[in-house]
Amino acid sequence: MSEIDSMIKVKNITKSYIKGSMITHVLCGITLFIEKGEYVAIMGTSGTGKSTLMNIIGCLDKPTSGQLELGGVDAYQLDDDAISALRNKSIGFVFQQFFFLERTTALDNVLLPLLYADTYPADAIPRAKQVLVNVGLEDRTKYLANELSGGQQQRVAIARALINDPDVILADEPTGNLDSESTAEVLKIFHRLHKEGRTIVVVTHDREVAGHAQRILELKDGQIKELDFSSKPKDSSDH
Amino acid sequence: MNRMVRVAKESIRMMKGNRLRVLIMALGVAVGVASLTMMICVSKGAYLEVMDIVNRQGQDLLQVRPGTDKHTGLPSGSREVVSLVEEDVEAILLHVGNIRAASPVKDRKEVEVKYGDKFTLSRIFGITPVWAEIRDFGPSKGEFISSEDLNFAARVCLIGQTVKKNLFGDTDPIGQTIRIKDVPFNVKGELEWKGISSAGRDRDDRIVIPISTYSKRLFREIKLNQIVITIGDTSHLDKTVEDVRAVLRKRHKLAEGEPDDFAMRTPQDLIDLAYGTTRSLINLLTGIAAVSLLVAGVVIVNIMLASVSARRAEIGIRRALGARKSDILRQFLMESLVISMLGGVLGTILGYGGSILLSSLQVTASVVTPLALVAAIITCSLIALVFGIFPARKAANQNPVDALRA
Ligand SMILES: Nc1ncnc2c1ncn2[C@@H]1O[C@H](COP(=O)(O)OP(=O)(O)OP(=O)(O)O)[C@@H](O)[C@H]1O
Ligand SMILES: [Mg+2]
Repeated sequence: MSEIDSMIKVKNITKSYIKGSMITHVLCGITLFIEKGEYVAIMGTSGTGKSTLMNIIGCLDKPTSGQLELGGVDAYQLDDDAISALRNKSIGFVFQQFFFLERTTALDNVLLPLLYADTYPADAIPRAKQVLVNVGLEDRTKYLANELSGGQQQRVAIARALINDPDVILADEPTGNLDSESTAEVLKIFHRLHKEGRTIVVVTHDREVAGHAQRILELKDGQIKELDFSSKPKDSSDH
Repeated sequence: MNRMVRVAKESIRMMKGNRLRVLIMALGVAVGVASLTMMICVSKGAYLEVMDIVNRQGQDLLQVRPGTDKHTGLPSGSREVVSLVEEDVEAILLHVGNIRAASPVKDRKEVEVKYGDKFTLSRIFGITPVWAEIRDFGPSKGEFISSEDLNFAARVCLIGQTVKKNLFGDTDPIGQTIRIKDVPFNVKGELEWKGISSAGRDRDDRIVIPISTYSKRLFREIKLNQIVITIGDTSHLDKTVEDVRAVLRKRHKLAEGEPDDFAMRTPQDLIDLAYGTTRSLINLLTGIAAVSLLVAGVVIVNIMLASVSARRAEIGIRRALGARKSDILRQFLMESLVISMLGGVLGTILGYGGSILLSSLQVTASVVTPLALVAAIITCSLIALVFGIFPARKAANQNPVDALRA
């Protein structure tokens, strides 16, 4: 991998939590490059720090030390407003809990990122409808959370992540709360997004899900390690 | 569309989903604003009443009465105190500088007055020619009492409009002779119309005659019921009052430490008197307003704080999607502002209603004034800011990662 034109450059990042007199080192010097258009899966057992790493890559959390470059920008040199703008423009988040806003229609949920954009596009609503079409929910625009299945809510969340046309999609256990059918639909969408040339990073426990990525990384003991496709692990782990 | 407008709209959209919470907080504010509104309306009513009195009586009027009670001049009902005499007036005019005019006044209520076969009971005032100017109470027709009338104790009078109506109806009274206590008086003129005084007395039910005639022909007494004084420069009112007091104390040979045997009433006393009854109501309403606004504020803080922790995930996802801290701050501040303004509108309507009720039930004078609305808007913005900023900052400063966990 070439360091020069990587989309995401994680350089020697550490993250430790201090609780009382206890110090927990969750990430111990992670260096990682992800190219533009790459589809990467991160695996690892529960509590190893996958979410922590994703949040740091997504500029939601600050590392204890180390450096993050997103599309050539040294992210943690920016002030809070600029980081917010970066999240808004360049990153699309999908979480295990769908974070579908209550009492808010699917369409309004999808429109949320535009609310915080520097300029509100004139074609906001047609655009939101189009991304809902792209995730197969064109007939659910006016639905509220309690009127949608989990799989549908997660597809709305994906549409929401896509509306600002981000450089990177960060999905933390996007299928963790979904049945196999909904999982398949989400994976299909990711596959299409990958084909369109988007950069996707997925955290998952599920080997099936990870198997769709081009590259699988494993986080273990605070270190990241490339998993070889040929050395398939024996067994799908704690799901 | 401006970012701030977008965030404000979003804030309102979120509130629509939680009408009950919004209503509870707004009601708290409404109670406070209603009291505030009523307080202002009652104050304004009282103020207008006072200004009416002061305008009628004049800013430069100083009244001196016998006895010690500040307002009536009468201690324990003894109207018979002889402490003021005409020489006191001369002494005041002679020794106090800042005085334009002074007149002694003698008066007697319910004196029988006849014209032909008509009969009435009226109040008789014995005065000097300057009285008209001092009390701003001159003739609307005919002539006022002249110096010659005074010097010769002429049997002439001017009658008030009520007396004219009672005795003469539509006929012209000027030049006619009426009998006061069976003493014939020539009617020289009519007094201008004055209406009902703040104390509820008919100011037109009176007859004025020269004070010399009053003493010689009607009532043989030397005591004055009043001295009325017009002060020259009202900016030295306090000094002038003290000078008058000093002159009178000296003339009355009052030793140091002995109380005055007369009482002075300044325009300020009139204001105090008029405010007196209203003040306790104003104080009560102010108290209720202050307490309920404070309670409303505390309710807002608490409900908003609870709401902020209940909406951690919402805040987290908004931050993840690109909301700045300032966007979150504005969203929550907007919420307190809308709630507070809603309460303000509700409270102003209630307060105006209450104010109209107070005046229509004649509890107190109360005027619906736009000032109350302005005060409500200012108060509500302040409440929203003061009590809303803490929860809003808590929301804005929430770590997005913490907000998204759990
Ligand atoms: N705010 C915090 N304070 C202290 N420790 C924390 C905090 N947040 C996370 N941790 C610890 O960091 C470690 C990594 O947490 P993280 O959520 O990244 O794990 P994960 O790999 O995503 O696990 P899972 O697969 O269960 O989602 C955990 O041991 C957790 O206890
Ligand atoms: Mg996790």
